[in-house]
Amino acid sequence: MKKKAVLALFTAGAVTGGLLSTKAFAQVEGELTPEQEMKLVQEFNRMLAEGINPGEVWYEVGKDAIKKYNLDKCDLGLGPGVFKGAAAQLPRYFADAGKVMDLETRVGWCLQKHAGMTQDQVLKLVRQCWGKTGNCVSEYDGIIMYLTMESNGHKINVNLKDPQVKRMYDIGRQAYYARIGPWDFNCATCHAGKQEVRIRATRLWSADRPGEAGNAVSIFPKYLVRWGLPMTMHYRYAECMRQMRWPEFIPHSDLAVALSAYLYGTANGTEIKAPGIGR
Amino acid sequence: MKKVALTATALLLLFGVAQPQQKKAQPKKQEPKVTQEEVMKVLTSGLSTDPRFAWKVQQDEAQKVCSQYSGREAMPAQAVQKVIQLSQADIRYPQWGIFWGDWREGKKIVDNPRGGRFASYGFSDSPADRGGNCYACHLIEKGAPGGTMGPNLYQYGKKWNITKENMNSPEALERVKAVYNIVYNAWSAFPCSSMPRFGSNGAMSPEDVMNIVTFLLHPDSPVNK
Repeated sequence: MKKKAVLALFTAGAVTGGLLSTKAFAQVEGELTPEQEMKLVQEFNRMLAEGINPGEVWYEVGKDAIKKYNLDKCDLGLGPGVFKGAAAQLPRYFADAGKVMDLETRVGWCLQKHAGMTQDQVLKLVRQCWGKTGNCVSEYDGIIMYLTMESNGHKINVNLKDPQVKRMYDIGRQAYYARIGPWDFNCATCHAGKQEVRIRATRLWSADRPGEAGNAVSIFPKYLVRWGLPMTMHYRYAECMRQMRWPEFIPHSDLAVALSAYLYGTANGTEIKAPGIGR
Repeated sequence: MKKVALTATALLLLFGVAQPQQKKAQPKKQEPKVTQEEVMKVLTSGLSTDPRFAWKVQQDEAQKVCSQYSGREAMPAQAVQKVIQLSQADIRYPQWGIFWGDWREGKKIVDNPRGGRFASYGFSDSPADRGGNCYACHLIEKGAPGGTMGPNLYQYGKKWNITKENMNSPEALERVKAVYNIVYNAWSAFPCSSMPRFGSNGAMSPEDVMNIVTFLLHPDSPVNK
């Protein structure tokens, strides 16, 4: 309870006052001055030490948004409105949609079905806070945060015995190794291989080292201190592909589902612990 | 004779028992394998069709080969050969051939982390940004923080014994050309390496590459101090 109060106070300051939205953090992507970098690391360490994760605030945002958008009718595979542990068994095949979907794609489908939104409207909602730093609270991020946190403590359990899911897993694995774009990158350039490597100071996780894919995906959505908002998995995919010099990623696409099937399938057995926190 | 018969029966029994178990573990019905076309179809469905960027999705021959293997160790000799051939054929040199460029200009490209990243939401590089972001993967100048994905390039020129006295000898210029080939198209020497084919892909001009190589090898460059 005390923690919650601290959190509420903290976030009131952060979200409205702009503790995290300071101009110091407005520049991103390796463009920080050493002083800004230090400030950021201090801020991050303080949050870690105090056990504060502002990302949890989006849980409440999501709770309200789910009522607003009629998502209590949404079936994530365990029945309409049954959310406890539902995120842990995604991606899965949905007969009503006739395809395999991961959490975010399914939420997009539900927004169209139960909130009467068009696909464009949904994608606009998804990307509302993309590229923003601080002062951006999106209902979509809240919904994904709420639904994922409802699975906290549950182990990821993607049913790879389902041939439809297995097919997406195989496509996802091959897409992971597809070298495209003017810089010849694939996902595996950074996130595969037995040997541990760094990109500048960042240690990279690898799908080939046991447990690391699980550690990486089980904490999404992940609160990023430098942006002051939680990053959902599809936002993460989009950012990776931008770094890879690929064309812009389209959330809720089959590509997203294939990657999720591969990554979450590889992460099977890992406990979900959302939100994570990162610099 | 009896012994043989007994062993045969024992073997038969063993097989008789083992067979159905094996069947259980590995169902005979082969699931249809995913083709490269299917993968590319899903891949392109998830990427913007904005004509400014859509061209990026077109794979060239070398990329198609590299996409099939998890790493160089997994590649058969034929595939290695093919990528090397394609990549060597791709290399273009400055119109006046191999020469020593300007290491200061090379350093600018090496140090610049920006280039090539575009998205409709925030954080894009400008089309004029032509940085190589080399420090992401390499350690280069002394004390400058860098990544460990690629080899350490500190004192790269010294490593090849390039000095002020011998730098214009045929051997030294041969070395300059070899490094030029790696920066221009890394796959010509290391097929399917993680390093982008900067020159072949048009991210850098032959003159840019020449300057970068000079930065790495020139005795006056801070890399070799």
